[in-house]
Amino acid sequence: MTTVTLTINGSVVTREVQPRTHLADFLREDMQLTSVHLGCEHGVCGACTVLVDGAPQRTCIDFAAAADGVSIRTIESFDDDPVMAALRRAFSVHHGLQCGYCTPGVLATAYDIVTRLPGADPARIREELAGNLCRCTGYAGMVAAIHEVAANPPSRPADAVRAEPLAFAGVKRASPAAPAAVAARAAPEADSAPYAAPTLPADAAEIALSEILDLPADKAWAVLRDVETVAACLPGATLQAFDAGAGVARGVFAVAIGPMRASFEGAAKVSFDDGERTGRIGGGGEDKSSRTRADGQLDFALNAVDGGRSQLDIALRYNVRGGLAQFSRGAVVAEAAKLLIGEFSGNLAKAAAGEAVDASATAGGIGFALKALSARIRRAFGL
Amino acid sequence: MKAARFDYVRAVDAADAVRCLGAGGPQTKIIAGGQSLGPMLNLRLARPDKLVDIRRAADLAAVAATADAVVYGAGITHAAFEDRLVPDATPGWLAPIARGIAYRAVRNKGTIGGSVVHADPAADWPTVLLALGAEALTLGPAGPRAAPLADFLVGPFQVALAFDHLLTGLRLPKRGPHARWGYWKFCRKTGEFAKAAAAVLHDPDRGETRAVIGAVERTPILVPDAAELLADPRAAADIVARLAPERAPAAQRLHAEALERAARLALAPQEIAA
Amino acid sequence: MAEQDLKTTGGVGARVLRKEDDRLLRGRGQFVGDVRRADMLDVAFLRSPVAHGRIVAVGKPDHAADLVFTAADLAGVRPIRADSTLPGFRGSDQWPLATGKVRHVGEPIAACVAASRAEAEDLAEAVRLEIEELPAVVDMRRARDAAAPLIHEHWAENVFLESTAVGGEPLAPLKAAAAVSATLQVRTARQSMAPIEGRGTVAEWDERLGMLTFTTGQQMPHVMRSGLAGCLGLEEGQVRLISPDVGGGFGYKGILTQEDVTLGWLAMHLGRPVRWIEDRREQLTANANCREHHYDISGYASAEGDLLAIECAAIVDAGAYSAYPFSACLEGAQVGSILPGPYDFPGFKCDTFSACTNKPGILPYRGVARTGVCFALELTMDALARQIGMEPSQFRIRNLVRPEQMPFDNIVKKHFDSGDYPEAIRQAEAAIDLAGVRLRQARPEADGRRIGIGFAIYCEQAAHGTSVYSGWGIPFVPGFEQATARLTPDGGLEVRVGAHSHGQGMETSLAQVANEVLGVPVPKVRVIHGDTSMTPYSTGTWGSRCGVMVGGAVATACEALAERAVAIGAHLLQVPAEDAAVVDGCVRSGAASVSLADIAHAWYRRPQDLPGDVDPGGLEATQGYRMAPNDHGTFSYACHACVVAVDPGLGAVEILDYVIVEDGGTLLNPLIVDGQILGGLAQGVGTALYEEMRFDASGQPLASTLADYHLPGAAEVPDARIIHMMTPSPYSRFGQKGLGEGGAIAPPAAIANAVNDALHPLGVRITESPITPERVLDAIAAASSQTKEAAE
Repeated sequence: MTTVTLTINGSVVTREVQPRTHLADFLREDMQLTSVHLGCEHGVCGACTVLVDGAPQRTCIDFAAAADGVSIRTIESFDDDPVMAALRRAFSVHHGLQCGYCTPGVLATAYDIVTRLPGADPARIREELAGNLCRCTGYAGMVAAIHEVAANPPSRPADAVRAEPLAFAGVKRASPAAPAAVAARAAPEADSAPYAAPTLPADAAEIALSEILDLPADKAWAVLRDVETVAACLPGATLQAFDAGAGVARGVFAVAIGPMRASFEGAAKVSFDDGERTGRIGGGGEDKSSRTRADGQLDFALNAVDGGRSQLDIALRYNVRGGLAQFSRGAVVAEAAKLLIGEFSGNLAKAAAGEAVDASATAGGIGFALKALSARIRRAFGL
Repeated sequence: MKAARFDYVRAVDAADAVRCLGAGGPQTKIIAGGQSLGPMLNLRLARPDKLVDIRRAADLAAVAATADAVVYGAGITHAAFEDRLVPDATPGWLAPIARGIAYRAVRNKGTIGGSVVHADPAADWPTVLLALGAEALTLGPAGPRAAPLADFLVGPFQVALAFDHLLTGLRLPKRGPHARWGYWKFCRKTGEFAKAAAAVLHDPDRGETRAVIGAVERTPILVPDAAELLADPRAAADIVARLAPERAPAAQRLHAEALERAARLALAPQEIAA
Repeated sequence: MAEQDLKTTGGVGARVLRKEDDRLLRGRGQFVGDVRRADMLDVAFLRSPVAHGRIVAVGKPDHAADLVFTAADLAGVRPIRADSTLPGFRGSDQWPLATGKVRHVGEPIAACVAASRAEAEDLAEAVRLEIEELPAVVDMRRARDAAAPLIHEHWAENVFLESTAVGGEPLAPLKAAAAVSATLQVRTARQSMAPIEGRGTVAEWDERLGMLTFTTGQQMPHVMRSGLAGCLGLEEGQVRLISPDVGGGFGYKGILTQEDVTLGWLAMHLGRPVRWIEDRREQLTANANCREHHYDISGYASAEGDLLAIECAAIVDAGAYSAYPFSACLEGAQVGSILPGPYDFPGFKCDTFSACTNKPGILPYRGVARTGVCFALELTMDALARQIGMEPSQFRIRNLVRPEQMPFDNIVKKHFDSGDYPEAIRQAEAAIDLAGVRLRQARPEADGRRIGIGFAIYCEQAAHGTSVYSGWGIPFVPGFEQATARLTPDGGLEVRVGAHSHGQGMETSLAQVANEVLGVPVPKVRVIHGDTSMTPYSTGTWGSRCGVMVGGAVATACEALAERAVAIGAHLLQVPAEDAAVVDGCVRSGAASVSLADIAHAWYRRPQDLPGDVDPGGLEATQGYRMAPNDHGTFSYACHACVVAVDPGLGAVEILDYVIVEDGGTLLNPLIVDGQILGGLAQGVGTALYEEMRFDASGQPLASTLADYHLPGAAEVPDARIIHMMTPSPYSRFGQKGLGEGGAIAPPAAIANAVNDALHPLGVRITESPITPERVLDAIAAASSQTKEAAE
């Protein structure tokens, strides 16, 4: 728990809060200020907007623990404010609300518009309102109401002109919270059925690239056709067990894209064709906390270019299902996968040349990213 | 949609933040305005063990101007740029860029440093600052460092920052009255992330011409030969096809339009904001 | 706005300011999320991460096994069934928690209970879940493929219902006689209704009353009470449903959900109040899905511009389950019956099937089926007009039902009540300045954009009655709508209705109806709604019915009350009852009058003053209303016309001008009516340009946040001009017509027609919504490569 002291609607309040409690939940559940509405909890809809130190802010993506020392005004508090009175009347007259759910957040923004941008024209008002979604009114009434009040805003009482933040309350260190109870989970039972690599859907993403190795194909292949070598070259992969008879590897594949991270536990069928000098890893795993399953098939082929060199072709197809898949920005994942495969390919090239490879860092994670950097950049940032 | 548990500490200044990061270990994250991290926490996409809150670190919200550059603290909000509460290293270009970021409620809280470190490919600052030739100033246990932003941005949502390092600020070279600038972005709706963005700088005094293609779902692309673009903005389509071949045809078209329009803005007579 | 326009009271037609506004503007509304109960527990659901699979195991975490509940725990609970008696309909068992299989991403599997939502989510994460994935059916057009896996194993194929609507003359000769034809493949995206407030339920069991109370945002409280009682094995009298302030419904809150049933069981089982508040991710990925249609449509016309025939094969992607109470057939079966639109033409056939897919069940959304139908038909009309070489608006005028034909039975026996459809187009042509836009199009725009103009017209059946709904054979059929009117001892008026108002302003407009009959000032009329224990039965708020049906019921109840008040008042005035009448809140006879307050005082406090033959029912009357002489419903209609600018480099569409010519008959409150139309328009703009719930080939939804699913904001919605025609309906109490949904019906068609008009010189015709920049750019590129091929 963390202790915060803040001013809410003019009253100074001190409370213990859990760090993960967002400010909107704190205002709604602890302070009973239920005008603070939750519409998305990811900062888009604006229903939770309140005035913090006089400026509109989202409360759903801020944390109560971070609100120490601020002054908050919610719509419950404006009953003596002539600007808000004018806005309320104008909203009613112009029918700027229907169900009323977005209304408190809209009024917080409207209050900011008419005080910060007096005389704003309808186009500017629409731009400024963009962060408050309304599903009922079509916005016309809101825009008309704000335009009317902004054209001639009533003067505000002196104490409302600038809600000054409280004197800086000093830093209070949080006492470490009890660690989250971790559910005791039975270890996954050994799979007695033969492992079959998953089938990928038709729209599986595909990435391919090639690398030239300064080694003859036969020499390079002798190094590469080894499971442990391949696993060691795959960034983020940890090989836990390999059943040579079945050609099944089990392990964990850790991946991160910025602050997002996932750890896929699973298995893969690994096969090599020494005649063709091709290899295939087909498998999948699950990230337990997000309930996301990723399946992939990685093919690599080695072909002689000339006597001294060979070409390594790598192709990855993958499919992701579950929580981490349910976004519209698959191209970011593809880009991360491309970086991953680039690293993998480079590692294979190194391994083939007999160099040591350490790919244990989380794929895409800090270590991975830093390893990929040139020595010049690493030096520059003191890494 | 509630965040997983995490611990929370407030840092009083940048050095304190670095200490907190070192003490917390690799699963400790900095939070500044939280406008990008907050949603990821609520969605449980990000699950740090601990957050180090730097919004009270006064040194991170400071501005320092030298003869030829301005150093902006990483904790300066977008709204401070929009409202011109901080000096502008350019002839007035930064305020309109800031005004185009998300929504006012987000701009009141979100910071320039947070935006750069978060490195969302669709965000404004990485594209803009790359084109303006910004330097990233970082602080680690071994002391401060500085390097070009181009080296700092290493992938989508990924920057060259070890877990116990902090971005403290961004140094922007001053741009004089002869410098030309064009920034153009295309959003499906006001305040949404850009589908395409491009920035073009031509600074004859410093002999610099830079062009950046943003919103490509990877690190913004610094165009190698920006002079070609300024000579003929219609070259944008070829440049995009060359530098972002992985993008779908319609997306390439949008990127090309953005780049061409940014170049035309840079070539047009400039309105110098007060 | 002039001050004299602002009223706090008035009767039918007055622009009265809303009674609801005050509490909402002060942040004092009470929504389900605001309900607090001592010892209340929060619930989070473990949901299916995959679209189709067999549940192998659900492992409860050891430390909280008694706080996690699966289907196996819910003893005695029955599945949600929403069957139709239409021949061939296949029903689905929608268990409150998945049983055996999961059939769409987000289907609830386990309910996790904790002291806070955050901890309940922690618990849901800790549950071990093993699912054997099965191939998913994602594309409705492939649902009937022989290779398609069966979603409900005992079905013969993945189809809920197949239906055919036919009317008029045989098609073959008409098609043979046609000089022109147009065949289009039209597709509308899956959408989310996306009210800003999600669903939510607080359930509590009262041992003393033996009653389970649900507080939940609900458009149809009484129908849902029946559904909940049925699933939970309770008598209906044991269930009370209270719908508090509701943050937008749009059809989404007229559904019985698995979560509601589960919450009811949990409240009974745990003996403590439980709460579930849907978050946006749940709403988008698991629940609020709607609208996905596909059409192969052909239109046939003569060279002179007479529409001869429409032939269509339509598919509705109905998702995995038939949702209670409207069922999976409503959307699909309505497609065929609505497709002829407001036109009079000789030949029609439409085959439709409702495909079962591994997606959330399709739910009725504002303008159910009509939005897609209008899109398909009106794009076809433009395509025909273009072939003939007529102005699309003129082609429409030539083929619309004419005013002298009213009332009119159309080709599928829809009974249009009144109106002048061609006049709506003519007024729209003038207001949007069709001639001026055509002149403007002759010159290139300075900014390189292309200008286009588009029209769309529809008529909207609303307030459907028994005769319409009995044929569907779904879990409810609307009959008489009832209202209770009661004078309180102090002379105030209470009006009780079983429907629910959640943004439509019925606390105001129904008070105006009461004011029209009794003259009680609007501030003294309290409209009580949304509580099954306090209101007469109603099928609720759906189908643009409340203005007509509930308004009619309130008027009827107030008239009955007036009759009783007159009897007492006449006695108090010592005049014959036939000489007295209620006027302005008093019973008057000539110059003499006695106020309703005095009459109430006599009834409640001084019964010794009452006449000996006084009606013992007193000053409280419940009366039923249905439309007469037939209850087919009203048909409001509107012509939407818009001018757009399309940037061919960006594929971006800007709406430059938008005009709506609307005929809603008598308007109960013009302020509220305009609000409904403009709100509908915003949703229509979303459908046209922004909103799309995409799925990948595995059935994974690709929009789980509002950064993925784009709702139009203030900068995206145009300022529209509304022109009212106001032809009264001959069948409703005041001549009013239902119109709450209409604003959302025509915009996608009008905007698409305008975009196509703008891009026609480039050879582009877009037939898919939403019209995204990518779709426009791809269409331009495809047209340009076709042109090149043709040239080579």
